[in-house]
Amino acid sequence: MQYFLQLLISGLAIGAIYGLIAMGFAVIYKSTGLVNFAQGEMTMITAYIAWTISTTVSGNVFVVAIGAILAAILLGLIIERVVMRPMLGEPVFATVMVTIGLAVILRSAINFIWDAYPHGLDVGMGRDIVRLGGIGVRTGQVAVIATLLTLLAAIWAFFRYSKIGVAMRAVAADDRTALLMGISATRVHALAWAASSVIAGIGGVFFALSYDLSPAMFQLGLKAFPATILGGLDAVLGSGIGGLLIGITENLAGGYVSSGMKEVAGFLMIIVVLMIRPFGIFGERDIERV
Amino acid sequence: MPTTIPIPRPSAAPQPTAAPDSLLEFRNIRVVYDNAIEAVRDVSIAVPEGGIVALLGSNGAGKSTLLKAMSGILYTEEGVIESGSIRFRGEDVHHLAPDELVRRGIVQVPEGRRVFASLTIEENLQMGGYTRSNAAARERRDKVFALFPRLHERRDQIAGYMSGGEQQMLAIGRALMTDPKLLALDEPSLGLAPLIIDRIYEVIVRLRDELKMTVLLVEQNAQRALDIADYGYILETGRVVLDGTARKLAANEDVQEFYLGVSSSGRKSLRDVKHYKRRKRWLS
Repeated sequence: MQYFLQLLISGLAIGAIYGLIAMGFAVIYKSTGLVNFAQGEMTMITAYIAWTISTTVSGNVFVVAIGAILAAILLGLIIERVVMRPMLGEPVFATVMVTIGLAVILRSAINFIWDAYPHGLDVGMGRDIVRLGGIGVRTGQVAVIATLLTLLAAIWAFFRYSKIGVAMRAVAADDRTALLMGISATRVHALAWAASSVIAGIGGVFFALSYDLSPAMFQLGLKAFPATILGGLDAVLGSGIGGLLIGITENLAGGYVSSGMKEVAGFLMIIVVLMIRPFGIFGERDIERV
Repeated sequence: MPTTIPIPRPSAAPQPTAAPDSLLEFRNIRVVYDNAIEAVRDVSIAVPEGGIVALLGSNGAGKSTLLKAMSGILYTEEGVIESGSIRFRGEDVHHLAPDELVRRGIVQVPEGRRVFASLTIEENLQMGGYTRSNAAARERRDKVFALFPRLHERRDQIAGYMSGGEQQMLAIGRALMTDPKLLALDEPSLGLAPLIIDRIYEVIVRLRDELKMTVLLVEQNAQRALDIADYGYILETGRVVLDGTARKLAANEDVQEFYLGVSSSGRKSLRDVKHYKRRKRWLS
């Protein structure tokens, strides 16, 4: 039982990181209809910027958090303005290819700007171990799970109640009619890229905090993408929960079956789930009636 | 004693306008898609304030293209206004962005209704009021609910699950949320049962008579449109071939024959059609 709980908690913690990045995918998909294959790389850049702030400016947790969030917003806005906006109106396939190109560029940017060695992000907390009902948990793990849950609630309320949140759904449903109502699609897209960059960036910073920071971190995107497919590409909340499910499955399979299963288990689950629910667990079916 | 004769400068004289009291005016508009397809050539249409102007014609005549030009969304389909202008309240507006046009009071109900299917009725209306302040939008919403009590009853329902007629009402309500001066409707009767069309048309008449709204009504269904319109234009392959008061158009022999389906002489021979085409060339 102890062993199981231990696996469950650490599965939830890594799953929360997948979930945050998966939500980043879903926010962009929901409002622009695009899959951003540079999501993992954007996450990595934000984590590196957080590390730079912690080593050069201040290691204070608030300074690092606020700096990283501002940097992520800026990163999202710049990418939207410089790379994505000129692609507006071009075929989706071409635009998605652009994000793949962007991914490669950002990946090498890490080596240009920083270096290829692993680093540890230290903000003076997150590595202490607290005992929760007999099992040892790192405070960073508790924090990332709490952050994910808080963001899930906040984002749910944002899409449901705020005018710009509803506008993002309207643009996703029918961007040309949204234009006819005076909703500026470019503003909605810019907001989506900024928000996505921040949400995923938070996941990246937590990853650097609990594990390490290396140029291989972009692979988090490859882990998070299945989470968003599992939850539903258009379901922001579902993607967050999809991340948790994959994290738990991975960890339990790794702990009980074999460590080799850890890499495969999440994908096995996706194949099974998608056979039953092709839109993902929480994805919306297209409303057929016109 | 030599006197200098003042030379009148051409720009000093006020330009006479075709219809000084029109709210919206298309002036010699030419629209080209993809640098190749000329969808509208040299069309001039005037929509006077407070009336219903019908824009009739079959598929591909260029009616929807004119509305897209009006709303500034031609660029989404690689369309460009090659020449001519669109004037609204005496100002050139064809270079403005779609949201600015909505703010100035031009809105359209697009063909096929296009409600936001995954949003609730209330959220659809909220999106119509996107360019207005929250307080103004709430006030408009109450007016729309008064006009369409059905929408109020079902305000929390997902719009995609409503019937075609209800969706059309929602689409009109959503457009009214923008507080328009000019409301354009693109084929509001498309795919609806006759009884439902009656109700939609009743609403359009009420918009003109009670809310003093100016309406540009684009229709294939000429009969219905001419019943309520004040003035009409007939568009064929991108040109205006005929215009006049609705009564005059409805009485026109060619319109009766080709748009209203009234025929006095049974079967038509090809010669008569050719005659019509010749006449059309004459008229245009």
